[in-house]
Amino acid sequence: MQPFALNYARPAVESDATTPYVYDCGLQLNVLRDGRVAARDHSLLRELGTTVSTAGSKTHFDD
Amino acid sequence: MTVLILTCEEDVTADMVVVHLNASGMPVVRLDPADLTVSAGLSGEFAHGSFRGHLAAGGRLVNLAALRSVWVRRPGGAASGAVHPSPWLAEESSQALYGMLRGSGARWMNDPDAAHRARHKPWQLRLAQRCGLPVPPTLITTFPGAAREFAGRYPDLVVKPVSGAHPQDPPRAVPTSRVPPGADFSAVAHGPTLLQRRVVKRADIRLTAVGKRLLAARKAVLSPGDPEEVDVRFAASREPWRRTAVPRYVADGVRAYLREARLAYGAFDFAEDGEGTWWFLECNQSGQFGFVEVDTGQPIARSIAEWLSRPGAEQPVAAPRTRTTAC
Repeated sequence: MQPFALNYARPAVESDATTPYVYDCGLQLNVLRDGRVAARDHSLLRELGTTVSTAGSKTHFDD
Repeated sequence: MTVLILTCEEDVTADMVVVHLNASGMPVVRLDPADLTVSAGLSGEFAHGSFRGHLAAGGRLVNLAALRSVWVRRPGGAASGAVHPSPWLAEESSQALYGMLRGSGARWMNDPDAAHRARHKPWQLRLAQRCGLPVPPTLITTFPGAAREFAGRYPDLVVKPVSGAHPQDPPRAVPTSRVPPGADFSAVAHGPTLLQRRVVKRADIRLTAVGKRLLAARKAVLSPGDPEEVDVRFAASREPWRRTAVPRYVADGVRAYLREARLAYGAFDFAEDGEGTWWFLECNQSGQFGFVEVDTGQPIARSIAEWLSRPGAEQPVAAPRTRTTAC
């Protein structure tokens, strides 16, 4: 028999989307393909949801 | 002086702070402990009564004596990216890195020991009570009878994980969920269960505390009283987060909480009820903030950068006076 709280569990949603930026070791920042700094593009961050509180994170449970 | 950021490469939220640090001219070294023994390294020498230490990452070398602050954001497990990772190597690497950093004299956001304690939700609830923050009636138990009795007193309940962790085999999420009337509590015996009186909320509140600065955001519930809209992380609402003022009793309580918890940063979640009371739900000592800044324009990243850059000590609590004795 499983713990009570797991009666309310649901499958974790794994994101298939690939982020359109890569880490630049020199800048210590993630940059878009056109060279812009990803963190400056707030509309992109909102669209990607990469800065949101994410229940179900594999590595960090205190989001 | 240099700001050290411990985080993974893909952490674009950390980038938001690095942008401000760069703009202010503050040197930054970004290091993922996962990279130790591969692309990151460390060295420390204790000799002649003194200590000298260095970290290397991304082609940069920093003297530990030159660290102004350490921001623990989203670090990977120490040496988890090593060619031959192992629990032993992870422990060796973790003790070497965090042990030397603890001796550096740099300010922490957040101190690892304080952060570890602050993750415990039962401890959070008790501290919030002591700090005068309203806490919904809550029960954590493995006694089915206690759960039934609690449900008798508070028929409208939610259940949530005690730790906030989610099972991975298979990967599942455990959102805060409403417990239906007449639920069978016998499975409570198979794991500590956190039951809480549901707050009939008209808004979710995320209060981000950076040092002494409090930035609160409010997300209105479009259907107040909807028993199924419990966990804002899973709600489909398109309502944005908006700036909101912090009530005096909340500000006082949050500052007392941070002081007692020895935290320089905290992301507090509250549920606002129909009378405007903010009910404390939890404090995530490393909670995300990017989504709030993107919606509200609040200067959270800039505030973090300023805290990390600031010379001198704005410690969460004053160090206690200790008597020095010869040994």
